[in-house]
Amino acid sequence: MKMIRAFIRPEKEQEVVQALEGAGFPSLTKMPVFGRGKQKGLQVGPVHYDELPKMLVMMVVNDGDVDRVVNLMMDKSRTGFVGDGKIFISPVEAAYTVRTGEAAL
Amino acid sequence: MKEITAIIRRDKLPETKKALEDLGFPSLSIQSVDGRGKQRGMVCNNDLDPDLPESFCTPAKLKPTPATYALVHALPTVALFVPKRMLTMVVPDDLVTKIVKSIISVNKTGKTGDGKIFVSPIENAIRVRTSETGGEAIA
Repeated sequence: MKMIRAFIRPEKEQEVVQALEGAGFPSLTKMPVFGRGKQKGLQVGPVHYDELPKMLVMMVVNDGDVDRVVNLMMDKSRTGFVGDGKIFISPVEAAYTVRTGEAAL
Repeated sequence: MKEITAIIRRDKLPETKKALEDLGFPSLSIQSVDGRGKQRGMVCNNDLDPDLPESFCTPAKLKPTPATYALVHALPTVALFVPKRMLTMVVPDDLVTKIVKSIISVNKTGKTGDGKIFVSPIENAIRVRTSETGGEAIA
């Protein structure tokens, strides 16, 4: 299993979630975060924004589904401008469902 | 070292913290998150009021007429989320099963929405105050 953490634009969140649900991946956790990237924030005229609001979408999927989920997320959250976000993938060794106590996703 | 990420009900947080303290693992990070699982964010009414009959949990079915079809398809679909608490802790390898079992035993209610626990590997840990690395940093 792999954990996918995607930092996306907050306004694209609903679109991404709907697309993932349509593809059969309804389970995810989201949290609002603030951050900056290579461009060190955003300069709008004289105003400099150091930290920009993003939505962190976290989900754990089976190894075979990683490419599909990542491609879907990229398709839906891309605008072509800086600040579209990043996607990180990390290994997960075990997942447990609390209700049943089983070691299954 | 392993990282345990547990996504649990909000009202079970004090009990979970107590159980982990009793095991000797008081250190953890807590975050408020919104999540959804296989049920797509549907909350059963029985969760809020245990006296409600079981039939209240099923969504209302509209009679399929052209008017209801138009109504359903004109409304924008909104993804539902349930507020949850996410606990993150980094623990030594040999104690992972013990901690996972204790979290499961405290949080189990038998209804959907009890949460998930993920175990993932951590390469290194550093305590900022003393620059200790590895196992000493989390001891």
